[in-house]
Amino acid sequence: MLQTIMTRTRRKPLTLAQREERDFYLFIGLWLIGFILFSGGPILASLFFSFTNWTGLTSMEWIGLGNFKELLFEDKLFWTATRNTFFYSFGAVTLGTMGALFVAILMNQNLPGTTLLRVIYYLPSIASGVAISILWIWLFNPQSGLVNYALSLIGIEGPLWLASPTWALPALVIKSLWGIGANMIILLAGLQAIPHSLYEAAKIDGANQAQEFRHVTLPMLSPVLFFVLIISTINSFQILTDVLVMTQGGPGTSTYVYVYMIYQNAFQYLKMGYASALAWILFIIILGLTLLQLWGSSKWVYYEDEGR
Amino acid sequence: MQSNQLSRRRFLQLSGMGAASVVLLAACQAPAAAPAAEGGEAAAPSAEGVTLTFGHHWDAAFQPRQAEFDAGYAERHPGTKFEITYNTWAEHNQIVPTWAAAGTLPDIIYVHGRYAYPWSFEGIVIPTQDYVENDAEFDVDGIWEESRRLYMLDGKQYGIPYDHGPIIMGYNKDLFDAEGLAYPAEDWTWDDFLELAKKLTKENQWGYGGYYNTVVGLGNEQGISLVGPWGGEVIDETETKILLDSPESTAALQWWSDLIHVHNVAPTPAMSTAVPAGIRLTGQAAMFALASWGTPELIQNAAFQWDVAPWPKGPAGSKAGAFGSGFGITRDSKQPDAAWDYMREYLSKEGMEFMWGSSGRGSPSRQAAYDSWLNSEGAPEHAKFYLDALNNYAVTGRPYNTLAGGEILDIFNRHTDLVQAGEMSVEEAIAGIIAEGTPVLEEAAAKKGQSS
Repeated sequence: MLQTIMTRTRRKPLTLAQREERDFYLFIGLWLIGFILFSGGPILASLFFSFTNWTGLTSMEWIGLGNFKELLFEDKLFWTATRNTFFYSFGAVTLGTMGALFVAILMNQNLPGTTLLRVIYYLPSIASGVAISILWIWLFNPQSGLVNYALSLIGIEGPLWLASPTWALPALVIKSLWGIGANMIILLAGLQAIPHSLYEAAKIDGANQAQEFRHVTLPMLSPVLFFVLIISTINSFQILTDVLVMTQGGPGTSTYVYVYMIYQNAFQYLKMGYASALAWILFIIILGLTLLQLWGSSKWVYYEDEGR
Repeated sequence: MQSNQLSRRRFLQLSGMGAASVVLLAACQAPAAAPAAEGGEAAAPSAEGVTLTFGHHWDAAFQPRQAEFDAGYAERHPGTKFEITYNTWAEHNQIVPTWAAAGTLPDIIYVHGRYAYPWSFEGIVIPTQDYVENDAEFDVDGIWEESRRLYMLDGKQYGIPYDHGPIIMGYNKDLFDAEGLAYPAEDWTWDDFLELAKKLTKENQWGYGGYYNTVVGLGNEQGISLVGPWGGEVIDETETKILLDSPESTAALQWWSDLIHVHNVAPTPAMSTAVPAGIRLTGQAAMFALASWGTPELIQNAAFQWDVAPWPKGPAGSKAGAFGSGFGITRDSKQPDAAWDYMREYLSKEGMEFMWGSSGRGSPSRQAAYDSWLNSEGAPEHAKFYLDALNNYAVTGRPYNTLAGGEILDIFNRHTDLVQAGEMSVEEAIAGIIAEGTPVLEEAAAKKGQSS
């Protein structure tokens, strides 16, 4: 009888798939609990606040779509901030990804000293944001900054950079290249995962280096590039520290970006409801861009296991 | 391969989407004996075991002064303990609303004049009117009315100011001496100023350096200082109408813009920001607007002789802007009576003399305490001109009686930035400010009206 019960209650050993699934939930569990407790609640609350005129303190009235209507149809600054953010994002993502890929390819060469160089290129991306922003204020100094000094060496009179309504935003794009090290590491890992046999096969087929890059490196690296593009786009839309430290949105509104507008409304003007509406519009913008990128990825991203 | 094993594609997709979701959603000074106050002896000792909490913004150099005052207070009020949070000045104004939202405000907080009205309106700071009225020994009338009005809402006193200062003219005596020029006279005018500025401008040196590098600025104390001498105003008394389009204000702003773009005696923002320490501190500005709270910085850092002169007279006479800071008891305080016991001593004549007067830190908001600052190491030779301004021609710079103060000042700055850079005319800037600012002021007034 006892033997029968034991036989009945003995658990079937987990399959590899089940063990992996269990491990997945164990690993992600702590993060998930933290996310639900400390982020999920505030996120849902912000959705509610976006339909109110809450100051973040006491008074609150339900105003329906009032904040959204004002933002989209009355607040010119909203469109200025959106336009500036798109400009910055396009510049930072395009130049940043190309720069990171270029450096990753250089760092992928089997040459002495590349390990040290990888560290050197990666280091800036882990440095303090505010400190680096202050450093770049000095670099962009029109009179004594290194940027204009370097330009003067090739006969170019540099612009006023952060003091120029025309050049301040491009200056922030240039500054964003400081952090390409993080993406470089990801792309470098992707490059090193490409099997050498593919390059050997391409060589046998008579491919030159450019053809190897076009027909082997890029397709094999495309999932990683896709990942980098999505993350970079999202990060670029959330630029704040540089603006807060370097320009405060100026001169004029030349560097007035979206998250700075959220910050000002929420914490300086005590318009938490308005800021919440701004945040949710940003969410929709980034979600839309991400979905667009996902849709577009089917045309250029190659997954090995799909056999395409 | 197991069907549920993550392929590289799936991993990258999940990672990308996971990270995307998270980031996306996330979008959403010299020691002296600490004083006993006027009436301090008469004040009943605080209850035993009272712990007062504070939200200050003092830098590390000034914290010992605070500790010394508190130690003296604890001696006079046995059993009182202190828990102090020191924020940076820049962060304090954002931290206080988050404390308020969380219900964790300390008993007493620092309140800059710009935030006094909204913080009183939102209930962060409670009224002290009853305390003031019922405390015969607390001489509230000894505090300049111009400074107290910053901390009033609907006729009631909320916060209490501790310092209040006007803008007057600082000047680099070495540069005047080098040119053999006489220092500004007590009754000088803006025409005199311009003549001097022209004579004092040369390569990498400007006749006028502005107010913290800003030549055309409409901040509280600066705005009225620029247009007031011409008879102009920045904003009306109800703080619902911007008055910069009056002939007087327009002419004044044009005059200031011309200092940069016509007379070339003042730097563009690019020129002044090219000197990280500021051209005032490096001795490249012969004259500069200087508020009373800016004097310790110069005393500490300037490698040149300097002094102050009255703010020059304009076509409409003398007028300068003033502003200040104070303290308030918060709504989260469980012991407002104990907090007031502290405030009445802290902001008494003796308290102000100890904290801000004799320490040289700044200009106390009590006339009776002003001499201690004038005689301190923190005050320049002719600091009495600050007192003259406060007593005769300085007014508290608006806006300070609207819920949209911060937003309006940002609108001002966005436009004056471009005027200074030569990218926008004065008329365009004024039109832009009125178009953008008026709805903001009206909305704030409507909100104010709804609650009253």
